[in-house]
Amino acid sequence: MTPADPVPQTDPAARPTGAPAPAGRLRAGTRPPAVLLVPAAVAAAFALLPLGYLVVRSLERGPAFARDVILDERTAQLLGRSLALAAVVVAACLLLGISLAWLTVRTDLPGARAWSVLVTLPLAVPSYVAAFAWLSAFPGIEGFTGAAVALTLVSFPYVYLPVTAALRGTDPAQEEVSRSLGHGPLGTFRRVTLPQLRPAATGGAVLVALYVLSDFGAVSLMRYDTFTRGIYTSYRASFDRTPAAALSVVLVVMTIALVAAEARTRGRAGHARTGTGTARPAVPAQLGPWRAAALAWCAAVTAVAVLTPLATLGYWLAVGNSATWDPGRLLDTAGTTLGVAAGGAALTTLLALPVGVIAARHRGRTAALLEQSAYAGHALPGITVALSLVFFAVRYAEPVYQELPLLVCAYAVLFLPVAVAGTRAAVLQSPPVLEDVARSLGRSPLRVLREVTVPLAAPGVAAGAALTFVVCMKELPATLLLRPTGMDTLATRLWTETGTGSFAAAAPYAAALILLAAIPSYLLGRHRT
Amino acid sequence: MTDLQITGLTKAYGPGAPVLDGLGLTVPAGSLTAVLGPSGCGKTTLLRIIAGFLRADAGTVALGDRTLSGPGLHLKPERRRIGIVPQEGALFPHLSVARNVAFGLTGPGRTARRRRTEEMLDLVGLAGYGDRMPHELSGGQQQRIALARALAPEPALVLLDEPFNALDSALRTGVRADVRAALRATGATALLVTHDQQEALSTADLVAVVRGGRVAQCDTPHEVYRRPADPWVAAFVGDAVLVPGTADRGAADTVLGRIPLMDPPGVLRQGMVLLRPEQLRLTAADAAGASGTVTSVRFYGPDAVVTVEVDGIDRAVRVRVPGSTSARPGERTGIAATGEATLHAASV
Amino acid sequence: MRRPLVQRLTAIFAAAFLLPAAAGCGVDEDDAGLVIYSGRNEKLVKPLLDELEKAVGTTIAVRYGESAELAAQIQEEGGKTKAGLFFSQDAGALGALSTKGLLAKLPQPSLDKVDPAFRGGAGDWVGTSGRARVIAYNPDKVSKAPDSVHDLVKPEWKGKIGYVPTNASFQAFVTGMRVLEGDAATRTWLKGLKANDPKVYDNNLKVLEGVGEGEVSLGLVNHYYWYEQVAEKGAEKIKSKIHFLPGGDPGALVNVAGVGIVKGSDQAPVAQKAVDFLLSEKAQKYFADDTKEYPLAAGVTSSVEGLPPLASLDAPKIDLGKLESLQETLKMLQDAGMV
Repeated sequence: MTPADPVPQTDPAARPTGAPAPAGRLRAGTRPPAVLLVPAAVAAAFALLPLGYLVVRSLERGPAFARDVILDERTAQLLGRSLALAAVVVAACLLLGISLAWLTVRTDLPGARAWSVLVTLPLAVPSYVAAFAWLSAFPGIEGFTGAAVALTLVSFPYVYLPVTAALRGTDPAQEEVSRSLGHGPLGTFRRVTLPQLRPAATGGAVLVALYVLSDFGAVSLMRYDTFTRGIYTSYRASFDRTPAAALSVVLVVMTIALVAAEARTRGRAGHARTGTGTARPAVPAQLGPWRAAALAWCAAVTAVAVLTPLATLGYWLAVGNSATWDPGRLLDTAGTTLGVAAGGAALTTLLALPVGVIAARHRGRTAALLEQSAYAGHALPGITVALSLVFFAVRYAEPVYQELPLLVCAYAVLFLPVAVAGTRAAVLQSPPVLEDVARSLGRSPLRVLREVTVPLAAPGVAAGAALTFVVCMKELPATLLLRPTGMDTLATRLWTETGTGSFAAAAPYAAALILLAAIPSYLLGRHRT
Repeated sequence: MTDLQITGLTKAYGPGAPVLDGLGLTVPAGSLTAVLGPSGCGKTTLLRIIAGFLRADAGTVALGDRTLSGPGLHLKPERRRIGIVPQEGALFPHLSVARNVAFGLTGPGRTARRRRTEEMLDLVGLAGYGDRMPHELSGGQQQRIALARALAPEPALVLLDEPFNALDSALRTGVRADVRAALRATGATALLVTHDQQEALSTADLVAVVRGGRVAQCDTPHEVYRRPADPWVAAFVGDAVLVPGTADRGAADTVLGRIPLMDPPGVLRQGMVLLRPEQLRLTAADAAGASGTVTSVRFYGPDAVVTVEVDGIDRAVRVRVPGSTSARPGERTGIAATGEATLHAASV
Repeated sequence: MRRPLVQRLTAIFAAAFLLPAAAGCGVDEDDAGLVIYSGRNEKLVKPLLDELEKAVGTTIAVRYGESAELAAQIQEEGGKTKAGLFFSQDAGALGALSTKGLLAKLPQPSLDKVDPAFRGGAGDWVGTSGRARVIAYNPDKVSKAPDSVHDLVKPEWKGKIGYVPTNASFQAFVTGMRVLEGDAATRTWLKGLKANDPKVYDNNLKVLEGVGEGEVSLGLVNHYYWYEQVAEKGAEKIKSKIHFLPGGDPGALVNVAGVGIVKGSDQAPVAQKAVDFLLSEKAQKYFADDTKEYPLAAGVTSSVEGLPPLASLDAPKIDLGKLESLQETLKMLQDAGMV
């Protein structure tokens, strides 16, 4: 038989017109099932707790007072400084994250596997330790530059990790097509690869931006005045919670706006492969004469991001005379830290799961609202979140006040987006048609979740959990306020020791913190989807 | 076994033209019906509504005496007993082949489930593959496992969503035949969604041609091809030749001569007479009747398609001739029609 | 690979969950007879608080944090606070709680142990130890340190001063100047100082090092840093000297760390014992000898060599509780381009 033309040629006017492509793959119009909706709503309500508290507090002295604080010239100035810092750090993180991801995934870089682990290690460095290290090494770096450098070097893995996963998931055939159409490697990267990495990179960039907005440790050490520092100043200098709360509300509103804007850029662009079967592994690009430069780049980033803090710790140990540390206590503290961080990561991941699945699988107002709510607490300084939980706990949950469960809840409020982003990305990677098939074979939504969605997304969810684990370990301000009295984590010990300038005594705690956080970072780096 | 009845199905995504516009269709029990249409005609939406993944704005879907979707009613997908075979199979990558097939088997008794799984693997010719993982199978094997998985719980209806798209053409024919045989063996009612007219005509018992969210024609493959409802359907299911004609007592007078009409023309006098290229033949250049100039010859092996500018009309017609034709572009040729034709309004 | 990661992480989480049970989480505050919220660093006061536990005869639980944040926590807890005693690093946080009426009035005999300058006006907090602002100088470069911070804006000191603008004690000193001399004068002074291009250090110890090494000639620090250095390295190795400013100069401000009993706490009787312990000779000696601060309770003098007695200092007379108005100070420092 003759292969007939599929499109009628007889009369072009008779071809179907105007029928929009169905958006069925995105589940437009279908409401998330109750089994997802209810827990997701619980998670969102959780994340919105601080906002509720902040509204109560900021209106304590009447709306006029709050308005004056928010409309103060200084507020706008601080906001501008925070946003400028966030913009620079995000840009730098994108540059570092994407370039390193491409080098480690798509080129014949010698030792690519080892590099992919090394460049995730900076995640383990608390921003205050990084800032301290940079200040010790280069006292003149303080201010905007110092804050930007320190924050970039601890947060670029937020971009590196998702971009790496996306690079592994994209179809190299598309790049080959682009090359065959006359675009050079750079042009292809810019026109074909980069757009496909955009969802992953923007997701990471949002986490970086929120991290920068919420950071207090690095900016205070670097003496760069930001919005968060303004909030702390309000607590520390004037012992006044009302302006702090009003400023925090601004931060929450900005966060939600940022997340909504990010959701907009996601748009309707699909970024899955359209081909059949599994993707061929990409043929690594030959670096050729650029090999040395590429190696130097990876080495330089690793050195400045990982070795600088480690070298500083070494220096503390070498020159200090306060090194009367107690290995038993260090071990105990490390154990406690692992425990609370694991609890935090577990609860956060559990809460993030329904939100992440809805964010990946559903569109519409409800889905957007749930996802944005999850981010509400992320840009807030730890102190604000901690105080809001104090507020609610003494009123409604006194038995858990200053007990582990409340601390774990604080971690969940603070870090929910980290786990949501991981879950969402993981769920996006498995085709929704698998869930349809499972439904058609008689599975209820809950069982589909348990038997198909979660097992398939498990590696990504686990990666998100590992990331959450790392950030929980590093957390300080909320831990200080909400920990059970007498309990210490590595971060609080570090705070105690550095508080009296006992840097040699602090070094083992900082080292333990970095090493322990490096284990999940290491697993994240090795994790290949 | 049960009929699938769809009436007045309407679905729109936001404002603008609806994707489904009052679609109606009946799939007889035990048949394999193809839903054929160009991309964007709404066939995927139709399939998702039947399966229960989407809610229709209006209309009903019923399976036998069970209404699945209707006003104020939407049975959940897992309650419908409708199996689906998606594009590219969509096997669960984290489960072995056997566990994929057994996924829908919820009845008690491990041995019963295992027996049914083996039966299904046997049915699709992949006995002994149960312990493999999906990525260890070829595309065609994956597709057959996907069918086995859909058939295992004895669904009332199986939906096949362009299941052969991903396969290369050599493999496609074989898998298509296997799937058809498996469906026959189980007596399942099946709906095959495809944009490939060849696939629809060669595989299905009935072909429903969908256009702009409605069924333009639903009939046996033979009838749809031979007696298309309109020139669009004709051109979509095959190659069509249209020449102006005037109806006159059960036949039409055209530049190609007098051609018998299958159906009485009714009130239509003037219109377009629709023929298939294989109804035309080339005759000697000086033979009586119509003549024209060969403009191109496309050779396909067993046959060839010759395009001829016919004297007296302003359009070229295509003629399917044996591959051994000696026609060459630029030559003069005679042209004649055989068999019956249909007459359509010229405006379409 | 997929599974190994999941399995490994699961194992780590499982292991980590079990650890804290073994490690223990310190004293359960519900069993404690007294809960202290301490803004003073654990390293500084832990040995003293261990003694305090023995003295009050019941278990105590101590929650360490930043003074200001603990003050905010106490405010947030309201009547349901777990704290019996608030031990603050500085007077400002105590003043803030006092203003909100969250501190209980202390018995007069306790208050009377301390000079009225070093306790709350409302009688609801009391200083436990003091620290004086001093000027450190390098005798090789400067024959005599200036007697007033107002001299520091003179051109002769251009580029020769070291300070830590972010340090809480420096900011308290500026606040003190505002209380003493008004905002306009303070602003002028800050502008003058900034115009003299002072060198910014990270912390007081670095200022002392800078002075000792001659990087700068003068430094604005707290007195006890110098005495700690002397104790640690020996007087002969310390090249810098310190000068206590006379005449009630704002640069001679003496700030205090202090305690208050949190109102509405059923721990008040024990807290009262704790306050008395902190004002006892034993505790006051601890501050004098171990933290090199000034003991504040009457009758106790520091045994630190060379430290002038508190009574001999000519500190400015201000209500330390008013040092809570730091916000405005910070704004001035920001306007002056210092922080």
